[in-house]
Amino acid sequence: MIAIEDWRIYEHPILKFDRGKEVTIYLDGKPLKAYKNETVAAALYANGIREFSKSIKYRRPRGFFCAIGRCSACMMEVDGVPNVRTCVTLVRDGMRIKRQRTIADWAAPFLGMMKLPPLRYMKLFTRPGFIYEPAMKIMRKFTGLGSYPEKVPEVAPSGGYQGELSTEFLIVGGGPAGMSAAVEAGQQGVDTLIIDDKEKLGGQLLKQTHMFFSDVKYAAGKRGFKLGEELVEKISKLDNVKVMTQTSAVGYYPSENTMLLKGPNDTTLKVKAKKYLISTGAYERSLVFENNDLPGVYGAGGVQTLLNVYGVKPGNRGILLGTGNVALIVSYHLLQAGIEVAGVFAPSFRRVRGYFVHAAKIKRHGVPIVTRHTIVKALGKNRVEGAIVTKLADYGKPIPGTERRVDCDFICVGVGLNPAYDLVQLFNPKMVYVGALGGMVPIRDRTYRFAENAYIAGDCASIEEATTAVLEGKLVGLYASQALGHGDETVPEKIEEYTRALEEDRGSPFSTRLREALRDITVEKIEEALK
Amino acid sequence: MKPVQRGYYTREELEELGVFPPREELEKKRLCVIECVEEIPCNPCAAVCRSGAIIKEGLCKPPVVDWKACIGCTMCVAACPGMAIFMQWIEDGDGYVTMPYELLPEPKIGDRVQLLNRKGEAVGEGMIVNPTYQARGDAYPRWVVTVKMDDPDLSYEVRAFKILE
Ligand SMILES: Cc1cc2nc3c(=O)[nH]c(=O)nc-3n(C[C@H](O)[C@H](O)[C@H](O)COP(=O)(O)OP(=O)(O)OC[C@H]3O[C@@H](n4cnc5c(N)ncnc54)[C@H](O)[C@@H]3O)c2cc1C
Ligand code: SF4
Ligand code: SF4
Ligand code: FES
Repeated sequence: MIAIEDWRIYEHPILKFDRGKEVTIYLDGKPLKAYKNETVAAALYANGIREFSKSIKYRRPRGFFCAIGRCSACMMEVDGVPNVRTCVTLVRDGMRIKRQRTIADWAAPFLGMMKLPPLRYMKLFTRPGFIYEPAMKIMRKFTGLGSYPEKVPEVAPSGGYQGELSTEFLIVGGGPAGMSAAVEAGQQGVDTLIIDDKEKLGGQLLKQTHMFFSDVKYAAGKRGFKLGEELVEKISKLDNVKVMTQTSAVGYYPSENTMLLKGPNDTTLKVKAKKYLISTGAYERSLVFENNDLPGVYGAGGVQTLLNVYGVKPGNRGILLGTGNVALIVSYHLLQAGIEVAGVFAPSFRRVRGYFVHAAKIKRHGVPIVTRHTIVKALGKNRVEGAIVTKLADYGKPIPGTERRVDCDFICVGVGLNPAYDLVQLFNPKMVYVGALGGMVPIRDRTYRFAENAYIAGDCASIEEATTAVLEGKLVGLYASQALGHGDETVPEKIEEYTRALEEDRGSPFSTRLREALRDITVEKIEEALK
Repeated sequence: MKPVQRGYYTREELEELGVFPPREELEKKRLCVIECVEEIPCNPCAAVCRSGAIIKEGLCKPPVVDWKACIGCTMCVAACPGMAIFMQWIEDGDGYVTMPYELLPEPKIGDRVQLLNRKGEAVGEGMIVNPTYQARGDAYPRWVVTVKMDDPDLSYEVRAFKILE
């Protein structure tokens, strides 16, 4: 075995990594050391591999960005199946991984020509019809798109199962919001199913090693991943709550009131529930700058996953873009893993956007916090080798002549999250864009319903924090129990308590705009708003 | 530049905010100094203090310390998620600062350290005198480390340290 590089973290002040037993995987035929609990992307990274594929037209190298299966930057061919998201696929001994679209590098200049008006690639060889098929065969070869897959995703003996299921309450997304709802509804005797597309429940909590803020009664003072473990433990004690992991909700059909799930081994399942909760969390935003697609430009949450879930270093010296809490917290996590942070750069003017205490925590370890700055360009050919940053004038425009180079081997983009509303939309809600809540969100009523039979909670309802996600989840669990005719006499008291706690939690000046925005999109009864 | 823009307060700014106990008190006993001045929803400090020395008038109101009640137990240093609580005192002309610590290497009694101020600048050398590992129902606790320095004035500045090999 050729041990080229090892980027794994073996000593960490907070975490112990349970990597499982050693296995061997093959990248383009070359053996690499991996561990059972690593995803393909993490294992490749641990071996120093940064380039996973090349982009179709311009042959630009591609690595991973989000590490949570949301952006598709990390797709590779795994065991003959193309376009597998390697950041959410666990390794297996003997697994064969191939880079996609890496064959015809010499063809790059020709492909570049395809954007010229007479050669518009989408119009090439489409007429007359009979040319298309043979031409495509040749084109695929020459663009490095490869031949058609050796096999379609395998239908395993146990797999391919098409079943139907009904339940009272289906929760999609097992982050703090979904899990809290499952606990409350479960305790009220509701027949509940909670699904998550990851191998474990926990959502964003899995990667949060820092202690949480907020009220000690709910989550504060605990480290995020501990809070996640506690919720999993509570769920496991409830017989009427079923859990399905590695299962994604891929569609909802209102006329049939059916949610379509896709599970491991290509199983599909139709679920009819009386009530649904969509708690699918959020997507990381990206930022526009030159070369922002280079391997080494990551989402801050992606870096956190690599660091804290898999114990693999993203690089040796990084910069952060953005000064919200996420950017500040990820900087601190990098310091904990012994990685240098060359600076936190943010276009904000008056202040760091996150909590002062988070900023102070990294500042006292010498991390430069540079406001009024933005990145113009990532440097490097096949991976990040540096960044050019620039100062901004009062009106947000770069000041010419203030550009400077910062040496770094990775760049984390921590500029915020957008609610993951894909499933929400399928219920035909009334969607609105609300900047203060992070993006597109549905109008909801006081019981968090955005459709007659569906509730929303957590980051996909409004980008906030784990504690608010927990409280919203609890409330939805209780409201759904009531609506399903289950709640006992303690429910109204609990609802009052959690509602008050939420109000208190949102009581700081940081949440002023959020409070107003929530008031604006909350109606008395959802049926009326949807008319 | 304002403190919230640069990521630190100066000693003078904190003095104005009344963050430090009177010097005479610091010469008598170890006292807690809380550098959490913003309104954020958070309360582990007040919840963990058994002597009722930390007062929060609401979840989002910044904490205020009653130094008469503080018995110097360091529980709040261990519990604060913002890592914003420190202990300070002066004894036999030496300054002492107790700080939360979540980095490597592990601290040991007698380790020489580089002292860092709120800006991350090295301001001198000191020695670890009392590292404790605080648990409190958290399976992954954090270190609470006391560092001694020759110049008592430095105890108003030092907020982090780097263990020297
Ligand atoms: C870097 C970072 C630092 C943070 N720091 C703090 C902090 O210090 N304090 C704090 O209180 N909060 C913090 N937060 C915020 C907090 O983690 C989130 O607000 C919280 O996790 C939101 O919970 P959720 O349940 O809504 O979503 P998530 O935790 O995102 O969970 C959603 C889950 O749904 C799954 N899912 C999505 N779509 C589907 C589908 N179609 N089918 C099946 N499953 C699906 C996802 O895989 C995921 O597991 C931080 C967040 C980040 C990213
Ligand atoms: S040191 Fe102990 S007594 Fe003093 S404020 Fe902190 S927790 Fe309370
Ligand atoms: S626990 Fe720390 S961060 Fe939270 S309010 Fe108290 S001092 Fe501030
Ligand atoms: S989907 Fe794998 S990195 Fe985004």
